[in-house]
Parts: sequence; structure tokens; C-alpha cells
Amino acid sequence: MLFQREAKRLLLSFLVMFAFIALAASYWAINGQTTLLKREDNPRLVEAEAAVRRGSILDRNGVPLVISVPLNNTINGAMIRRYENPAMVSALGYYSLRYGVNGVEAAYDDLLSGRIPTADLNTAFFNDLLERPRTGTDIMVTLDTAIQERLAERMAGNIGAGIVIAVPSGQILGLVSLPTYDPNQLDAQWDALIATPGDPFFNRVLQGRYQPGGALQTPLMAAASLVDIPFDVPHENATLPLEIDGISLSCAVPLAPQALNLSEAYAYACPRPFSALAEQLGETLIDDIFDTFRLTQYPTLPGFTALATPISPTPTSTPMRSVSDPNVFEAAALGQGEIVVSPLMMALITAGIANDGNAPQPQLLYATRALGSDDQATWIYPIANTLSVPITTETTARRLQDLMRNTLVTGAAQNAARAGFDIGGHASLAYSGEETHTWFIGFVTLTGPQSIVIVIVLEQNADTQIAADIAGDVLTIAHDRLSR
Amino acid sequence: MGALFLLVNTLALSIAIPRVTLSVWLSLAGWIGCALVGNALLIHWLPSHDRFLFPLTMILTGWSLIIIARVAPEFAERQTLWMVIAVILMLATSLIPQILQWLRGYRYTLLMMGLIFLVATILFGSHPSGVAGAPALWLNIANFYFQPSEPLKIVLVAFLASYLAEQYAVLRADQQSFGVFPSPRMFGPVLLMWGLSMVVLVWQRDLGTAALFFLVFLILLYTASGQFAILVGGSLLAIVGGIAAYLLFAVVRLRVDTWLNPWLEADGRAYQVVQSLMAFAAGGITGSGVGQGSPTYIPVVHSDFIFAALAEEWGLIGVITVLILLGVIGARGLRASVSLRPFQALLTIGLSSLLIIQSFLIIGGVLKLIPLTGVTLPFMSYGGSSLVTNFIIIGLLLRVSSQGENPRAVSARS
Repeated sequence: MLFQREAKRLLLSFLVMFAFIALAASYWAINGQTTLLKREDNPRLVEAEAAVRRGSILDRNGVPLVISVPLNNTINGAMIRRYENPAMVSALGYYSLRYGVNGVEAAYDDLLSGRIPTADLNTAFFNDLLERPRTGTDIMVTLDTAIQERLAERMAGNIGAGIVIAVPSGQILGLVSLPTYDPNQLDAQWDALIATPGDPFFNRVLQGRYQPGGALQTPLMAAASLVDIPFDVPHENATLPLEIDGISLSCAVPLAPQALNLSEAYAYACPRPFSALAEQLGETLIDDIFDTFRLTQYPTLPGFTALATPISPTPTSTPMRSVSDPNVFEAAALGQGEIVVSPLMMALITAGIANDGNAPQPQLLYATRALGSDDQATWIYPIANTLSVPITTETTARRLQDLMRNTLVTGAAQNAARAGFDIGGHASLAYSGEETHTWFIGFVTLTGPQSIVIVIVLEQNADTQIAADIAGDVLTIAHDRLSR
Repeated sequence: MGALFLLVNTLALSIAIPRVTLSVWLSLAGWIGCALVGNALLIHWLPSHDRFLFPLTMILTGWSLIIIARVAPEFAERQTLWMVIAVILMLATSLIPQILQWLRGYRYTLLMMGLIFLVATILFGSHPSGVAGAPALWLNIANFYFQPSEPLKIVLVAFLASYLAEQYAVLRADQQSFGVFPSPRMFGPVLLMWGLSMVVLVWQRDLGTAALFFLVFLILLYTASGQFAILVGGSLLAIVGGIAAYLLFAVVRLRVDTWLNPWLEADGRAYQVVQSLMAFAAGGITGSGVGQGSPTYIPVVHSDFIFAALAEEWGLIGVITVLILLGVIGARGLRASVSLRPFQALLTIGLSSLLIIQSFLIIGGVLKLIPLTGVTLPFMSYGGSSLVTNFIIIGLLLRVSSQGENPRAVSARS
């Protein structure tokens, strides 16, 4: 038969060609899933992300804070994020297809976007098989809308940070960082926001690194208590300013020249007696107490960054160990040196004092609700890290609590006092270059071992009574909310 | 089974993308009509035809209608109309008893007509999109766009089959007298065809058609002569032509560069290829499901890149299925060549090779296996000229296959 041999060879050649095509297609179909599809210029990523029904964020009482809604009422189309309460923004952050995620949205992104499936295997299998858009998990955070609103309302107009923590659970009840922004207008206002002075996207509570200034007087008092240095010995000229590196440190409120003992100096946050105390304590003891107070470990909330690790039960060394210059040592001991702190760090120290010497681990995730479930589905409460961190003895902690209560009676924090509430606190100043900022750390006790802690930092502000007043207001409402 | 497959997919597409419901159901209705009428007429008038060719062709065409309705619904009805025309012409081709005699008897006339159209395209060609710089491979006659290079493929194959059918005995004798080296008598036509291909390439910047012409011609000459050296020499000429084209023409340089490394210009000149590869990756093994993927990120996906759209929504399973369908069509065509007279055998081999090589050129390009050549995927890509031409090829294969099954008919009609 004519051309039979050639026809067979051609057929074989064509089969080989098609086999190559099949191999190439298999390569891209299988290997491409881990390479090509991950490329940033893959438009399907954006499309898939837009179609995700991102989980809602609710406060500890089930009040919706952030929800996903269809864009332009489309079905199976893109979804957008709607932020229901402007007061919650600095805690919740933002979610944007164009600009990514921030805050709680970033910390729990895998849960909210459904990348960590919480549905049963059967449902997850069929969702995957039918190419259904991912549905994220709803999360409940420990924030309380009423406390957050009050904190945001009272801090409005300032630049700074405020945080409220429940003790001994470590649950964050309120978290405000100012200035802030409107995440509902993020895409439209992005260029203006990144040019805004003070950086609204910078979370001062978690990321802020402030000079502690007078706020370090609390650990110094703890050290004094531990070595039995009496608090009632008067110091001459205690209210006079103290010059350090060309900066004049003064009491938190203006006082006439007079003698004050350590308790009184702590109440008014006067630096001069603490300079003498630091010298008396010596470098080694101060190093030890700062290490014990974890002043070199910057805590963050679980899930917030890759560095989010629990506070170590084992202290690490402070930078002061290698200090040999007495002036540098004095500056560091008075909170004007190399040691800088975050508001969250100070909040945990304060919580440790309020909790009789044991600092709790901070918590923000309260509960999760299964993927694709309806509103009636059961919330699952994750097991929180309850490992507390000992920062001082119970005796010392209670002495510090009393000192802080006294500060509201006669001291710089009197504006925080509220009738009928057991509130303690400490207001002080810190200096950073040409600027002065105020610190307030305080607590209000509830029943039993429970209490609530607050820390407020107001930048470019030298009036400690403002911070104290804000703290008093927020602590009372927090007391009411948690006492119900 | 094919009809059931299309029915299920049409239903799924209507649910997934309600706005295309009308066009996709109209397409399906047209397809069912063509399939039933075509099959009935073939069974009645051409009872001994190959029973695989028409159904497999219709499955591919029906599948493509669903894809076109999904990615470019505005073209679905027009493509359905083209399918109806194509099936009518296929039936006409296959049912006219004298068609093979005409092709053979009027080969010079047909070739001249084809070349005139080709020259007309070079002089007056345009692109349906009207975009300046786009390949001007169409003739616009009263707003009716027609791509002469498509039917020219059939004319060329018929011409070469006819020529080689008369010369094959001499060519095989030459093989004995010249050993492994092809004689001038044999190599002359190769050079002539190579020259014609280069003209197409130079004047029309149509790399795909030029490559297709040349490769199919090499296959036919190899088949007729049985001399492997033809393929070697032809391949060397193709390489020389390719290098020259790379150095001389920007369009060829672009395609080769984007083939070698598309990632450098993934959002620029190589965007189409990169998105095509992403479509394969997105489809994975099972595909995203009809109407569930995003194949429209590939520009003009309904034309050259329709295979990538299929890969995204039907996955590797769909890809392999189409390859098998195309492979079976090609194999049935080659099978039909057995036990035929030289002209019919060469014609069948040429037309089958045309379908397979064209499929390989475009699918290989879409998969970055070879540089993009810009030819259409037979039976699937959007475009009337291509669809009609490929259906006419099927018509010819059906005609020949019926003769192969009936040797008496062969001798009577030839």
C-alpha cells in the first residue's frame, strides 16, 4: 500500500508532538500553582481576594465593628470592608486590596480571609471543589466598644496613645493611637494620609518608643522597697529642676521649693530625689530591677507581627549593664537615657503591680466563629496564654499600689480620682528633644483580684492633669462595664 | 455523549453568568441542528464515511462556542452563524462526488486564484479591528472580512498532492540514483515552496502561515519521496529562514524574545503569553469550572488563546481531552490515506498534517513550548475563515474516507 510507512511515521511524530504539549500543559498546571499563581502581577490574586467574604470583627459583646458587604450590590462579586465605628479604627487597622492590611485586620488576616479553614473537612472539600469564594472566620476581639469610644472621645485632638487592659486576664479593652484615619476612605485618601504629620498608620501603643521619663520612678520605687530604703526621709530642694544633658527635668506639677520624702516625690513625679535614689541603689540593683520589669522586651499582641512572642519569664539584660559614665547612668535611671518604652510595655508593668507582682500576657482575640456559619453558630473561645510574668514581690506590688492611690489624693494625678472608685495612678513628664510628653499609668480595682489598668501618653503636652482626667473617666466606665 | 457534555456545560455557564444565557443557548440550539442534520445527511448520502470525523469535529466546535459565549459573548452568535455556514460547506464538499476530480483537474486555476488573493491581501489587506500595526491578513469586501491564507492552505495542499502524485514514482527513482542526497528535481520544489513561505513572511509578517505552508509541504514531499533527507534539508532551510526573519523583522524578534524570556516583560509585550501560562496554572488539573475562572485577563482570548481559556476552566483534563480529540481527527485522516490512490492519499495526509501542525503551532505557542505564531486553533478559535476552511478540510477527509472504504467507488470515480 502506498505511503503506509510514511503515514505511520507521521502519526508517530504527531503523537510525540502532542505528548510534548501534554507534558508542557501538565508542568504549568501543576508546577505553576506554586510559582506562577503566587506572582504579584497575577491579577487573579486580586480578584480572588476581592471575592473573599472576609470574616466580621465584633467586640467582646458581639457588637459588629467591621463587616464585608458586596460592592455595588453584586452577587458573587467583589466585597468591600465597612468599618462601623470610627472610634475603633486605631485598634482594628484597615483592609485594602490596594494597600494591604494593618492592625487587627493584619494580625488575624489568615483567619479573617479564610486561609485557615475552620469549617469541617466535608464543607471545606466541597467549597474547594466548587470553587466557591473563600469565606473567612468571624472573630470577636476583647475590645469593648463603650470603653474604646470613651477613650477615643477623651483623647480626641491629642497626639498619643492610650491602652486599657483587664487584669488578670490581660484582655485589651481599649486601644487608641492618634492621629488616626478613616479606613472607609483609605483608597481615596491614601496619598494625603501618608503625608500627614505624625503618621496615622503608626500604632503608637504597640510600636511607639517613648522616653519613659518620670514613668521609670515606679520601678525605682520597687527597687527601693525591695532593699528597704525608707520612703519617709525628706530630701532637701526636692522640687527644684534637675539638669541632665542640657535638659531641665522638673516635677509633674509646678511646686514651690521645698523638701519632699520619696512618697511625696513619687506623687508629684519630682526627679531630684530619684536621682539621689538611683545613686543610692547603684547600677547593679537598678539593672536587676529594670531587667525584672522587662524594660528591654517590647511586647506586642499575639498575631500582630512576626516578633509577637509572649513576654519571656526569663529577664534579659538592660543596656545599662555596660554603662560606666555616671551621667549616662543617671539619665538612664531617670528615663532620659537609652531606655525607651512602649505604652503596651508600661501597661503590662502597671498590670503586674495591680496584680500583686504578676504581669499578665496581653490578649486581643476573644473568640472565633466557624467558617460559613450563621449568626447563631457557636463561638469558640481559644485557650489564652495565662502564663503570668513575675516582675516584683506581692509586698512590693502592694506598697506600689498604695503609693499610686496616694498620688490621686496628693499628687500630680489628682484629676484621675473619682468618688466611689478605688483608683491608683502615677502621672509624670518625659522629655524628648524639644518636646515634653506626659505619662499616666493607673488602675481601678474591681471585685476580688480583678482590676483594670490604663496607660496614656500625650505627646507635646506638659499638663499631666489632662492625662489623669482622661484616665479617670475611662477607668470609671471600664469599671462599670466589667462589673455588670 | 458530546451533546450531553455541551448541554451540561451550557447549563452551568447560564447559571454562573446569567447575562450570557441567551447567546449560549442559541449557540447550543444551532449546534444541535447542525449536528443532527449533518449527521443524517452524511449517513444517507455518504454511508461509508468515517464515523469519527464529523462528531469529533462538532464536539470541538460546540465546546468552542461555549468558551466564546463565556469570554466574548458579543461574538457567540456570529460564530454560531459561521458554524452553520461551515457545516453546509463541509456537507457540500463531502457530498459532491466530483470534488476530488475538480481539485486535481483545476489545480493551476485554483492555485492562481489563491495567489491572486494572496497578492491582493499584501496590497489591500486590513485587520478587522482596524488597529494600526495589527497584521493585515484580511480582505475587506463590503464589510465582510475574509482571510485568503486560510482557503489557500487547502488549495496548496491539493496542488502539491496533485503534483506529487504525478511525480512520486520519479522522485522515488531519484532516491535510488542519488543516494542520500536529494536530486535538484526533488529539491527544486522545496526551494520554491520555501521561497513562497518567505514571501508570505516578508510581506505579511505572518510567521504562522509561513511556517505552516512550509512544514506541510515538507511532509508531503517526504511522503511522496520517502526520503528522510528532505526533512533534514527542509529543517535546515527553516532554521536559516527563522534566523533571517529574527534579524530582519521586529515582529518575529518580538515573538522569539518573549518566548525565550517572557517574565522580563510580563506586564508589557509578553503580557498575553504570561497571562496564558497563568491560566493553565489557575486551571490546575480539574479546572476552575465553566464561568468560574478569569480567562478574560488574556487579551483577545477568544481567538489565538482560546486553548488557554479552556485550560483555566476545564483544567488539564480538558486540555488532554482536546488533544485526544484533535489527535484522533488527525489519526483518522491519516488512516483514510491507506489503500487509496496517490492523489487521494497525499491529499489526505496533507490535510491531516495541516490540522495537526496548525494545532501544535498554536498550542505550543500558548504554552511557551515554541514561539507564538499567531495561527488559529482548528475548530475552536473564533473566526469565520478559519472555521469554514477547517470544516471544508473535514469535508474532503470525509469524501476520501468514503472512497477508501469502497474501492469500487474509488476506481469508478477516479
